Amino acid sequence: MDEDTDKALATHEQELRRGTVVFASLVACRRPQYGYSLLTTLTEAGVPTEANTLYPLLRRLEKQGLLTAVWNTEQARPRKYYTLTDSGAEVAAALHSHWLELDSSITQLWKDGTP
Amino acid sequence: MSALTEIYVDNVTRHLPEDARPDIAAEITATIDDMVDARLGEGTDPTPDRTAAIEREVLEELGDPAVLSREYSNSPQHFIGPNSYPLFVWALRWVLPLVGLLAVLTNVVTTIALSPEAQIGEIIGKTAGNTVIALLTAFAAITIIIGLGDRGMDGGAAEAMRKRQSGTWTVDDLDRRDSHGKQIRAEAGLGLVFIVAFAMAPFIPTSLFYVGHLNGGETFINPDLGFGWLLGYWGFLALLAAVEIVKFTTASARPIVVLIGGIADVAMAVFLTVALLTQPVLHPELTNTPNADVQQIITVIAVWAIVIWDQVSTWRTYRREHHS
Repeated sequence: MDEDTDKALATHEQELRRGTVVFASLVACRRPQYGYSLLTTLTEAGVPTEANTLYPLLRRLEKQGLLTAVWNTEQARPRKYYTLTDSGAEVAAALHSHWLELDSSITQLWKDGTP
Repeated sequence: MSALTEIYVDNVTRHLPEDARPDIAAEITATIDDMVDARLGEGTDPTPDRTAAIEREVLEELGDPAVLSREYSNSPQHFIGPNSYPLFVWALRWVLPLVGLLAVLTNVVTTIALSPEAQIGEIIGKTAGNTVIALLTAFAAITIIIGLGDRGMDGGAAEAMRKRQSGTWTVDDLDRRDSHGKQIRAEAGLGLVFIVAFAMAPFIPTSLFYVGHLNGGETFINPDLGFGWLLGYWGFLALLAAVEIVKFTTASARPIVVLIGGIADVAMAVFLTVALLTQPVLHPELTNTPNADVQQIITVIAVWAIVIWDQVSTWRTYRREHHS
């Protein structure tokens, strides 16, 4: 790939990843997660995310009522745990359905277009 | 928390809402500590230098605190966003021409009213200067109002434009007005303005153009010119005005109207040529020079240049309408 193609790929990958991170965070927060644990969970799951993107995103999802956050001060280091709310769970389930449909559609498109 | 982390966190939170600062600061601090601990690994006793180096590495990975702060604030990083932009363009398209027109009219009227012996240069200068200021002020006002609306209402300044947004748009919203018709109407309107100006030409005093000293502020036209010539001149202008009025009201350039307009144009040019070459049409004191004949010939050439340009322009309009 030449330099221009690389740039175009990077831009499109970023666009693709932007929505994916939201979905992946909701899915991961079905179990309580604090910031750093979520960061490592996503990275290990193959959805590497930058910390400076993830933390503001968690806060936005909390404001939207999709996540609930509770400070746990029982440990040596206080941590803010995020968990999916009921509406967050509905959104995550709906996104999951869309994701599967998209996956199926793209797979079919790919097959149809393959010579 | 080290001093470096403290400074970093302070940089992130200083421009955020005050009530959110402690929560965000605690979360970032915990994250930085977690990231540092993870990199130091368990079971080792890190040296202060190594800890400081890793801390720097973590902070640099988190990046510019201003960028992180912007992510947290989630406020728009633009003045007029995509939601308000259509409203902005719409306002500029409608308000600026209106302001320009009002500024021109107001300045012309007030300059003439306040300076009874106003020269045309003075009128043009004052009008142009004040109109530019009025347009810039209107532009700034529109930009500021819509920009603030974009912020204050979370992009809601475009509420009025909601019907234009996708999802609520239907084919009924299509602009069905004929753009060719609009252009013909605009050209006809402009043509009428010129015809009125030409009709007034015999009455315009030379003092209006800084040459009043040449003939004592009389008109540009020879006062001894037979009234029949003036009647003929106005008659042709009336015919041309009628053609433009038909074009304006019907918003079309029908062949018969174009033909009448073209013939009237050429006939008027012939009339003016005869008038200019058989007698002194311009004021004798303006043409009282050895080159008076040359001036008359130049005027005739100018008349025909205008007529040819007008014929070509009319023909192009006609072709455009009948080929679309």
